[in-house]
Amino acid sequence: MIYFDNSATTQTLPEAAQRAATAMTQGFYNPAAAYSAAYAVEKEVENARSFAASLLGATAQEIIYTSGGTESNNMALFGSLRPVRGKKRIVITAVEHPSVFETANAAADASGAELVYAPLKADGTVDIERLGEVLTRDTAFVSIMHVNNEVGSVNDLVRIAEAVRTFSPNAILHADGVQAFMKTDLHKLPVDLYSVSAHKLHAPKGVGFLYLRNGIRFAGGQIGGGQERNLRSGTTNVPGILGFDTALRTYHANKTAWHAQMRRVKMRLYRNLITLPDVVLNGPAAEEGAPHILNLSFLGVRGEVLLHALERYDVIVSTGSACSAKKQGKNRILNAIGITGARQDGAIRFSFCPFNTEEEADAASNVIEGQLRFLRRYKRR
Amino acid sequence: MEKVILVRYAEIHLKGLNRPFFERLLVDRIKQALNPIKANVTREQGRIFAYGVPEEEIERCVDRLCRVFGIHSVSVARCVEKDWNAIREAAIEETRPYASGADGLTFKCFARRADKRFPMTSEQICRELGHELLEAYPNLSVDVHHPKLPVTVEIRQNNAFVYTGEVLGAGGMPVGSNGKAMLLISGGIDSPVAGYMIAKRGVMLDAIHFYSYPYTSERARDKVIELTKLVARYAGRINLYLVPFTEIQLTIYDKCPSTETTVLMRRLMMKIAERIAKDTGSLALITGESIGQVASQTIESLCVTDDAVSMPVFRPLIGFDKEEIVEKAEKIGTFETSILPYEDCCTVFVPKHPVTKPKVDKLRESEALVDFEPLIEQAIAATERMDIR
Repeated sequence: MIYFDNSATTQTLPEAAQRAATAMTQGFYNPAAAYSAAYAVEKEVENARSFAASLLGATAQEIIYTSGGTESNNMALFGSLRPVRGKKRIVITAVEHPSVFETANAAADASGAELVYAPLKADGTVDIERLGEVLTRDTAFVSIMHVNNEVGSVNDLVRIAEAVRTFSPNAILHADGVQAFMKTDLHKLPVDLYSVSAHKLHAPKGVGFLYLRNGIRFAGGQIGGGQERNLRSGTTNVPGILGFDTALRTYHANKTAWHAQMRRVKMRLYRNLITLPDVVLNGPAAEEGAPHILNLSFLGVRGEVLLHALERYDVIVSTGSACSAKKQGKNRILNAIGITGARQDGAIRFSFCPFNTEEEADAASNVIEGQLRFLRRYKRR
Repeated sequence: MEKVILVRYAEIHLKGLNRPFFERLLVDRIKQALNPIKANVTREQGRIFAYGVPEEEIERCVDRLCRVFGIHSVSVARCVEKDWNAIREAAIEETRPYASGADGLTFKCFARRADKRFPMTSEQICRELGHELLEAYPNLSVDVHHPKLPVTVEIRQNNAFVYTGEVLGAGGMPVGSNGKAMLLISGGIDSPVAGYMIAKRGVMLDAIHFYSYPYTSERARDKVIELTKLVARYAGRINLYLVPFTEIQLTIYDKCPSTETTVLMRRLMMKIAERIAKDTGSLALITGESIGQVASQTIESLCVTDDAVSMPVFRPLIGFDKEEIVEKAEKIGTFETSILPYEDCCTVFVPKHPVTKPKVDKLRESEALVDFEPLIEQAIAATERMDIR
């Protein structure tokens, strides 16, 4: 099987799965317990936390483990807004993941905050030159995704942070880093909050973290036993966190080579397909976007039909984010960057992992070419 | 003091000499609906009673009975001896949960004396019982015009029954009293509603679905199975026939005029449905069409579709607006499933500008461009039957 849907989720590395299994069958103690076996587990978790923090130029206490990207995004938004009294503005982009987009809409409805969308460029990135137009003094929260999950555009968080500090000095700046963490070159986070999910990095599902900069006004979270600095109570997900830790260490050790490999596969597939008739690139130029996401439109076919046709040949792709694959209607993200009509209907997202090969890209291209030729005979005439 | 479920039936009342036939069928349907609970279901003078349902199961059973066609309404009654003291005690017990509210509830007593040997008249029963209830619960009061709580006593041949209120059933006729028909089910909003409406008239259902593997997903197929299950909650057991349709579709697209593909597809679906219907004892086809809803449902298109078969085609939604259909779908609980967004065989390949006023002769000609017979036989041979209940 050729699996090109790694932005939906990735296969867990065997050593990460093994570490998680060991944490369930042997070091299964509750790290909050008093005896030394439990303390050993706690130390392992704290080691993992320190390592994760080091990858972002952060300190260990700035890492709050959660159940993943969605929880981190929810926590970021509500935790930042809760302490802010009075009139306030929320700024996000129209291409955010639902866990930011829907959450911001819900928060605005509930609190009466004003929700404004930042101007975008056609490649899906924020138009930084015009960002000042929406940033006001009373802006309390800004959330801009680091890498877009559907088209792979990469936002320049450093410049965005500069703009936010200039125009909205009181705002907390959050970035959804679910598709970006370990896949971009960023050694020191310029933002206040950053969401990460483990399962996009060959780690188990159900774990992730929120980077929470020291000293920002932040309140709430899940109440209970006081774990995770009293921001996210609940028994520590030791197997998930340690499995994540192993995957992260492997990813880190191979990062340069793995980036290059994903980029190679992406470029190979891109060059193979873009020469076919009526194929259009969506989002940033292939060499500029994230190394692992490629979005192409195959005009004259419907994305879902092509997806199932490819599936029969064991080529797995997606028509968009899995988080919106079951939702009715149009693709909000493509709409927001002006991709509509036949181009939206025929959009397919390919997303890669370091274990994909150029041979796979060639094989997939052949299948796509054949299916495209076949299906286009039946296109809307 | 046993609790029983008292069932009033709907249109069966209007039946003459063959009424016992309908009653017996309804009793069977009730037993099936209550399964696996083994209740003693009996007919008595225009009522059906389910005895022996464990008290903790009663609520669930009432809910299920409300989906049995042929039932007008259901009440949970206390069954007592035909003795005034017993009746009085039962009524006081039955009213107790409502009597504790601070601002007194209003009530009214109703009596129905089917057994005229009972020494009190209906009027006397009501008056006496009202008095007793007021004595027992001083904060209750009587309102004979708009009572919040109707307290009813029925004196029947063997027992007396006391209950408060009734739950409305689905109405209609017991399934099986009117033969069998084949529902063309697509996965959309309309067809499950159409099936429901015909089943409500006592018609047993089979269903047929056309899918375009591999271009439609397994989720789309499972959605249709799920919808059929939801219809089966009312209609009882349904045989669902799943017909692979891709070959026929591709052939139409290859060989026939592109503007006519949708109507031709529908004609072929009707033909296959009719054949399976004939082989399996269905006497008619059912579709969810409504005039003018889409290009293939203009009156001209409907004529062309009808022309493909000789069996009667029932279209219970023919005069309904989409909004009315949605409302019904929500009420019977199929809407949420219907709107799951998967491509179905009709949306996989569709012409941009389908013909809206097809002519029968023209369509027959286009259909004759291809010998569809072997393809139809092949599709029927590959059809899968599922037993949905």
